[in-house]
Formats: sequence, structure tokens, C-alpha cells
Amino acid sequence: MSDVATKAEVSGPGLGTPRRGERRRRPILRYALRRIVIVPISLFVLGSVSFVLVLFIPGDPAVTILGDFATPEQVALVNQQLGLDKPLWDRYLSFWGNLLRGDLGTSFFTNEPVLHDIARFLPNTLELVVLALLVAVGLGLVIGVVGAYFARRWPDRVMTGLTSALQSVPDFFLALVGIYLFFFVLGWAPAPIGRLPIEAGAPEHSFLIFGSLFSGDWTTLGSALSHAALPVLSLGLVYSSYFAKTARGSMGTALTTPQVEFARACGLRERTVVRYAFLASRTTVITYVAILFGSLLGGASIVERVFNWRGMGQWALDGVLKVDVPIIQGFVVVAGLMTLTLFLVLDLVVLALDPRVSYE
Amino acid sequence: MSETTKVPVRPSAAHPVWRALRSNPGISIGGGLLLLMLLAAFFAPLPYDPVTPDPANVLQAPSGSHVFGTDANGFDVFSRVVAAGRSDLVLALLGTLVSLVVGLLIGLPLSTKSRYSEGFMRALDAFQSFPLIVLSVTIVSLTGNAIQNIIYAIVIINGPRFIRLIRGEALAIRDGRFIEAAVATGARPRRIVFRHIMPNVVDVCLVQCSLTAANAVIVIAALNFLGIGVSPPDPTWGSMVQVGAQGISTGQWWVAIWPGVAIFLAIASLNVLAGGIQRRVEGS
Repeated sequence: MSDVATKAEVSGPGLGTPRRGERRRRPILRYALRRIVIVPISLFVLGSVSFVLVLFIPGDPAVTILGDFATPEQVALVNQQLGLDKPLWDRYLSFWGNLLRGDLGTSFFTNEPVLHDIARFLPNTLELVVLALLVAVGLGLVIGVVGAYFARRWPDRVMTGLTSALQSVPDFFLALVGIYLFFFVLGWAPAPIGRLPIEAGAPEHSFLIFGSLFSGDWTTLGSALSHAALPVLSLGLVYSSYFAKTARGSMGTALTTPQVEFARACGLRERTVVRYAFLASRTTVITYVAILFGSLLGGASIVERVFNWRGMGQWALDGVLKVDVPIIQGFVVVAGLMTLTLFLVLDLVVLALDPRVSYE
Repeated sequence: MSETTKVPVRPSAAHPVWRALRSNPGISIGGGLLLLMLLAAFFAPLPYDPVTPDPANVLQAPSGSHVFGTDANGFDVFSRVVAAGRSDLVLALLGTLVSLVVGLLIGLPLSTKSRYSEGFMRALDAFQSFPLIVLSVTIVSLTGNAIQNIIYAIVIINGPRFIRLIRGEALAIRDGRFIEAAVATGARPRRIVFRHIMPNVVDVCLVQCSLTAANAVIVIAALNFLGIGVSPPDPTWGSMVQVGAQGISTGQWWVAIWPGVAIFLAIASLNVLAGGIQRRVEGS
């Protein structure tokens, strides 16, 4: 979750003190290398977890999956697909064999290859998550910075109240309130039935918004944006509270440092002072972006479902509710892989951005 | 003479508690609202039976006889919103308690800087690096649709946070002089952990408990919204929002909005309570 803890723990003891001279020379390189070496280990844990998930199914998995009215042939087929007739160790090895060849299996119910499904649904989720995070970061920073700047005065109180209110709403509930207000009462938003109106047919680009933006397809872009407004806002508003809290905290500290006092004494404009103070907290913000990105890959699933967004989260959720094992495993592997990669990039970016971070 | 007469008017034992509550609105408002919701869920006289439908009064807008209206099955929304606290709040508090115990049992022994505990924290990092809500939905739906499985889901999401918090705090406390003194007097590691370290992590645990309970209310509502852990016709806030979601685009707002407001109030009061405890911990 928090990579701040990760960093603190990477510099564990027991790594031998005699080589201190060598470590002092290239600490950053050593840290980066060690951080990259962890990736295969995490991947191994990730793959194993997704394998172990199947063992949680109680009773006869095939019957659990297909329901009590399944024919013996169906049960036999699922058992064969799951490989339940083979010993556990064989299953584990062949699971890894398939995984390493990029084969995530096929869905029990639709017979679609899981990888194909992911390629279809992941772009929708990525667009939703990226736009929601943009809203969350923008709004959260404004709320947090205003609160920190007017610390303990009335704007701070208002912003703190706003933060706790946003923090206390479940995103799917905010989405429903939005649908009621902006679709039913005001009629500004389109019906919550997907990414485009029904009559629009199949979309041209897999990345609907970014694709139509870059190809200059303005009518599609406008329609896609109006359909995206409510889901993006309901996620963005709820998650902005995280950024507001961190920004309020780190800006509050930064604004009381001697540097800021010195900058003011030098006669710099307030805008510049705030900008410099903000620079100190940018790594925290980036850290939160990465953490929330990871959790939104699946965490947006309920909002996706409310708006029938056809994203990866909704797809995985449907798979989970139907006990479609290959879909569950595929989602865990892909979402985990993306999160791991993101955290690796994040740690290296933070390392590059913040000269104070030492990994000794 | 006047000195002796003052002795009986010493403040009563309850007085400092009252003064603390007044000086800390977070604890009194947040805790009070939470207590009120819990008491109402169990003891308040309800205008209608929350699990008996009235087919003659389906989807009635809020009115004098049904203050929050009725849903598509003819249930009284107000009675159900109040009664749903029985499952939602109790499950949230139970899940928090189990998460705390898990955090203490794993986090405290891990508060040594050994290779073993570092390795465990690495594994915890990997575990926390995927969407835990999906993982918990997966585990709950795979292990069966029982209501106690929701507690496991809460523990899966919040247990690691407790472990991390308690371990971090205990590591810092270990550097204290009094631990050194305890070691010098020959105290065994177990005694040091449970007698000297554990009482000192209680403060941060209280704050985290309150935040965890708030998170648990969201998790429960989300799972119930998806139909997981619901045994109809028993009311839960999440399942009520789900029932109401179907009518929201056609204007029957009251079915989904009132249980949503209850979720909001529960989470908000827990967050306010956490803020109050935090202030108290920092102040002391």
C-alpha cells in the first residue's frame, strides 16, 4: 500500500556493515537494482495467489460453478478445464506454464479468451480511471492548498468539512445521486447505459475518448465526454478527499518552514512562495496517484456497473459473481502486474524527484 | 474552617469525562451519533415491521404515514433504514475488532528487525499491491454467501494496515529508555512485548479502529450492493441502495437516497470520532 514504508524497510539491517564504503558510492543505483530484483519475487507471489484462489471454492468446484442443475458432462468438462483430475503439483506447474506463455485461459461461460476480453475492457477502465484521477488530483490539491494557506481560519474549516464529507460518501451512492439530479431532474446528462448512445453502434477506437480526441472525431468525443461526466465526477469527487488530506498535511508543514519565511522576506510574490512550498509535497501526491490508480483498477467496478461502462472492473466483478475462475485469475494477474509495474516506476520517479530521499 | 468545607465539593468522578467530552467535540459528536444509531437500530420503536411487505403500498413517495416512503416490495423505508444498523454497524465493529486482534497478534511479534520479519513485510507489500476490494469480493463469493464471510473481507482489507501501523509504532517504542531498562532487569521478550510495548500502541490503534470501522461500513455497503452477504428480506443499507438504484432514473429517489444518507452519517460520525481521538492522542 504505502511505498513510504517500503523504502524504510528496504534499508533493513543485517546487510553487513563492512561494505559501507562501496554502498556510499552508488546508493541510488544499488537501491534501484534492489527494487527491480524484487519484481520477479512479487510476480511469483502474485501468480501463486491467483492459483491458490481456486482452492478456496468449497465442495465440488464444478458444481459450485455450474449450479446444482448441471449435467454430468458439463461437470466433467469444467473439471477437465480446471485440471482437477490431476495432482495439485501438476496443476500448479501447468498453470505457470500457461501463464508464462501469456495464455490466461478461456471463460467458462462465454468461451472468450480471457486475454481478448481484457484487451477489450481494459481501455474503458483506463480512460475512466485516468480522467477520474485528473479530477481528483486537481480538486484535491485546490482544496488542500487553500486549507493549508488559510490554516485555522474559516476557509480551512470549510475545506476540512468538505474533505470529510467527500470522504464519507460511497462512490456508487454519489453516482446514483448524480444520476437522479443530472439525468432525471435536470436532464443534462445522458442515460446511464454505457459509453455512447445505443444508436451510435460499435465504437471505432478502443480508447474512445483519447482515440477520438487525437483523430479529431469531435461528435464522438462530445458524446463520449457527456457519457463520461457522471462516472468520472463521482469517482473523482470521492477520491479527491485523499489528495486534499495529503496536500493539506504536507503543505501545512511546508508553509511553516524557514525556507518559506526566507522566501517571503526576500519579497517573492505569494504565488511563487506557494509554488515553492508545493514542490516539497509533490512526491506525496505522486505516491497517492500510484496507490489510487492501483486500487481504482478494481475499485471502480461498482461505479462501472452502475453506468454499464463495460470496463475491466465490471467484467471482473461479473466473473467473480459467476465464479468464472479463468476471469478471476486473469484479472488478479493483470491488475496485480499493472500495479507492481506502477509502483516500480513510482519508486524510481520519487527517487529522481526528491533529493532528500536517501536509501542507505 | 473554610478550607475544610471545600473538601466535599470536589468534582465527582464523572466530571472529568464530561469536561473532556465538551472540550473535544469530535469524540462527543461522532461517538454520540454512532451510539444513537446503534441504540436506535436495536431499541427504537419502528412504525412498521421492517421485513413484512405491504403489497398495497408499493413505491409510495414519502408522506405522513410512511415518512421515508416505501420501496418496490412495499417495505417501509424508514423502518428498514433504522433496523439495517443491526447488521451493518455490528458487522463493521466486529470486523474492526478482528482486524485489530490480527494486527496485534502479527504486528507485535514482527516488531523486531530480523530478516524474517522484513521478509514478511515484503510479502505483505505484494499482498496489498492488488485491488483488495476485488480480492475480498472474490474470496467472499468463492467461500459462499454467508454473512460472517463479510468479516473476513474487512479483515483482508484492514488487517495489513493494522499490522503495518502496530509494527511501525512498536519499532519506534523499542528504542525507548524504558524498554532498555526492562531488558536490563532481565524481562523476557514476551513480557516486553505485552507488558511494555502493547499498552503504548493503544492510542494509535484507537484512531485506526475508528477509521477501519468507517472503511468497513463502505466495504459492507459495497458487498451488499452487489448482493453478497445479503439474506432477503433482512434489511442492509447496501442492498436497499441496490433496490433503489433501479428506480433512480425514473424518479423514485427515496428508496436509494435514505439508506445512502444513513451510510453517509455512519461513516461521517466514525471519521469525526477518529479525528477527535487523534486530537486527544496528540494533545496528551
